[in-house]
Amino acid sequence: MTPSPDHFKGKPVVEHLKEARERGALASSEIHGTEMSGSIAAFADASKEVAIALLLLWVILSHFFPLHTVWPCLVLFSAGWILWKTTRSALLGWSRLERLHRVIEEERWEIEHHRAQERTELAEMYRAKGLTGKLLEEVLDILMADDNRLLRVMLEEELGLTLEAYEHPLKQAFGALLGSLTSATLCLLGLWLLPPFGIYIGVALIFILSATLSAKLERNRVCSTVIWNLAIASLVVGCIHFLIPVIT
Amino acid sequence: MTSTGPFIFDEFFASGKEESISPFLTQTSRTWGKNLPLKTALFSAFLLLLSFITSFFLPPLSSLLLLFVYFFAGTPALLGAIEDIKNLEINIDVLMTLAALLSVLIGSGMEGALLLVLFELSAAMENMVSDKAKGTLLSLNRLSPRFACVVDAEGTLFEKAVAEISVGTHLLIKAGEIVPLDGTVVSGSSFVSLLHLTGESHPIAKKSSDTVPSGARNLDGTLTIAVTRTSSDSTLSHIIQLITQAKDAKPKLQRFLDRFGKWYAMTIISLFFLFAATLPLLFSMPYFGTDGGIYRALSFLIAASPCALIIATPTAYLSAISSFARRGILLKGGIILDALAGCKKIAFDKTGTLTTGRLTCAAIETLSKTPPICTPDEALSIAYALERNAVHPIASAITTFAQEKNIPPAPLINFKAIPGSGLTGTVSLNTKNTPVYIGHAEFIATKIPSPLESQWQTIRTTLQKQGHMSTLLLIENTLFVFHFMDTVRPESASVIARLKQDLHLQPLMLTGDHADMAHEVAKKVGIDEVHANLRPEDKLTKVAAFSSAEGLIMIGDGINDAPALARATVGISMGKIGSATAVDASDIVFLNDDLSLLDWAVRKSRHTLRTVKQNITLALVVILFATTPALLGFIPLWLAVILHEGGTVLVGLNSLRLLRK
Repeated sequence: MTPSPDHFKGKPVVEHLKEARERGALASSEIHGTEMSGSIAAFADASKEVAIALLLLWVILSHFFPLHTVWPCLVLFSAGWILWKTTRSALLGWSRLERLHRVIEEERWEIEHHRAQERTELAEMYRAKGLTGKLLEEVLDILMADDNRLLRVMLEEELGLTLEAYEHPLKQAFGALLGSLTSATLCLLGLWLLPPFGIYIGVALIFILSATLSAKLERNRVCSTVIWNLAIASLVVGCIHFLIPVIT
Repeated sequence: MTSTGPFIFDEFFASGKEESISPFLTQTSRTWGKNLPLKTALFSAFLLLLSFITSFFLPPLSSLLLLFVYFFAGTPALLGAIEDIKNLEINIDVLMTLAALLSVLIGSGMEGALLLVLFELSAAMENMVSDKAKGTLLSLNRLSPRFACVVDAEGTLFEKAVAEISVGTHLLIKAGEIVPLDGTVVSGSSFVSLLHLTGESHPIAKKSSDTVPSGARNLDGTLTIAVTRTSSDSTLSHIIQLITQAKDAKPKLQRFLDRFGKWYAMTIISLFFLFAATLPLLFSMPYFGTDGGIYRALSFLIAASPCALIIATPTAYLSAISSFARRGILLKGGIILDALAGCKKIAFDKTGTLTTGRLTCAAIETLSKTPPICTPDEALSIAYALERNAVHPIASAITTFAQEKNIPPAPLINFKAIPGSGLTGTVSLNTKNTPVYIGHAEFIATKIPSPLESQWQTIRTTLQKQGHMSTLLLIENTLFVFHFMDTVRPESASVIARLKQDLHLQPLMLTGDHADMAHEVAKKVGIDEVHANLRPEDKLTKVAAFSSAEGLIMIGDGINDAPALARATVGISMGKIGSATAVDASDIVFLNDDLSLLDWAVRKSRHTLRTVKQNITLALVVILFATTPALLGFIPLWLAVILHEGGTVLVGLNSLRLLRK
């Protein structure tokens, strides 16, 4: 059975497996989550969060205060929020890296000190994949022969981790900075040029851009992602808008 | 690992990646996704009710609740409408969504929300019915094996995926297993059944160097075969390919409402734009504001999208589907009812459809030059003793025949089964131990006494011409020929008569069987048009031609019928006797194999179509005589509302009539 060349798209099998695992990791992340790595994801996530925060603030403040007093509040809030989103992204990136390094160290220690248990774990994993008897024993012997290879196998197969799949926290934070800066600029510019509806147009544009980017990144349906994101934003803002008279 | 066994993936993909059975979710949390659209629609309805109540004393809270209704019911509707527009399809769904969402602009948010909720509720209920049908079908076993037991050069046995097995590989097939790939027998002998593959109910003996097709069931012995075709070229794959081609070639079924809805939606939307653009010019009114042209055009658009029109089709379909289900008939969607009502011809497969697919012993013939060694009843007693431990259809037919005649099995010693050939034993006849042999002609041939040879050959030729099956019992110099035939279903003749006389459907038979046998059955059941000796591809060609010309209902059960069932205007399969492939390919499944319900089903489908047409007429009457005059100020608004809601209730009640048996 010769594998079809199309299946690997001209890449070596190892590269193909790595990409498949990356796809698996990406699929198990959530777009709204902070665990999704990468500068583009950080850009999409930060831009959306800044836009919705600014809009909510605008809806609430504009109900109680005149426009000229709300305006500086929004600018000041934007500056603080941009800094928060950027530094938070870096902090989460470093925190994840630290967790990963700790996990790798623990697994290495386990391999060095509990070889029998590690062999049992491996046997269970490969038995579940259909290997039995002599063939299973041979596979275990080969894997247990090299500690580095064993560590990689355990990280990938036992812990479901993918090596060389995360970007540096600083690069990720730069994505978040760019996203939040773009979002704040577009929303405030909208409000400045076309008050009071400009901010709604700005937020809608940011949501469309961010949702499209996320959908493309996750290979989800663009139209459906954009509509649901806009619907959620409308629900959130509409909810605040109608709650104000109920509460006050 | 038990929760994510291999079956869950099959079920998941067959369900169209239904999240309520997603393998990535925990078993306990999967129920959250079950019937989610229906739960959402019901929740939206509840919120709408709350919104209506609170509108009298707390309008801001009412608006807040309405916002949630628009979010839950409006977003999916909007997505659907955008998908339709992307496919350049302006239909009734687009019109309804547009009207519902735009109603907010003229301060009729509550009416818009009601449209959306009814819209979502109807769609969710229709989905639930199709999902239930899918669920029932998923429980049926699949025929095609995924693994085969490979025998390597050293005689070691191991399992391998069928898709990875190459030509020349030796496979071991045990009794009761399905042959996974086409091959040639290299060792062993056995009877195999092609019942699910070709509809032939009699077992066929296979020995060394005979060919066996994939999909055949090995009945008694163990066979080792050398693979002659890989999975992509095998008989089963060929049929699956034909099914795929047939499904692609089948024209997309359309609901009556879809055909009507297309031009209606286009007309109303065009008129909306026309009114918005021309009213201010014609009547010197402004474009914007409550007295403006756009406001009037919007009012017209909303008035032309009544609730009655939304529920006209789904309620009728749901009532009919429920009525079908109570009779043990499974419909894979309401749309099939429209197609069923429009068909002019009805084609039947023979074996398993017009006949029961079970063999019955018709007669026992005695061949002997000297006085026979025993009577036919004694011969039956011996045959019963031999066959009562065998599993194939001929053995069952002999056992049943003996039991019906209250004949006990003769005492038997030295019993021996020769897989793929027959059975032997010794009985005591006239105080003498006599060897007896039963089996197919080739097994007995070498043992037949020469004076009986010519007599047997004459009978054999007649039997072959008639398409009848036989088995031989040899007791010393006497040969007993057991005749078998497939039994015609008792209800076949009467149901065909009703289809012809009452429903004016033209019946015909499409079968792969011998022409003489096909004509014999056709005559018994009252079918004049017979097409026999058809291969699956021939059946497909004929079905395609009839379906395109007049609309064809095809009824079948075998794998060989599956392409024809997939291509016919409406394919009907038998749930019990039918192969899983045929059930998958068909649109309607008779779960209890009750053919007598056929005319009822056609009649009910025609009744459903009539009800849909009545409902649409009622909805249009509401627009014509209530909503539009109210907009123009001819009748008061309260009267318009009563007429509008009354129309919706009438449509619902009219549909409920279909629930009656």
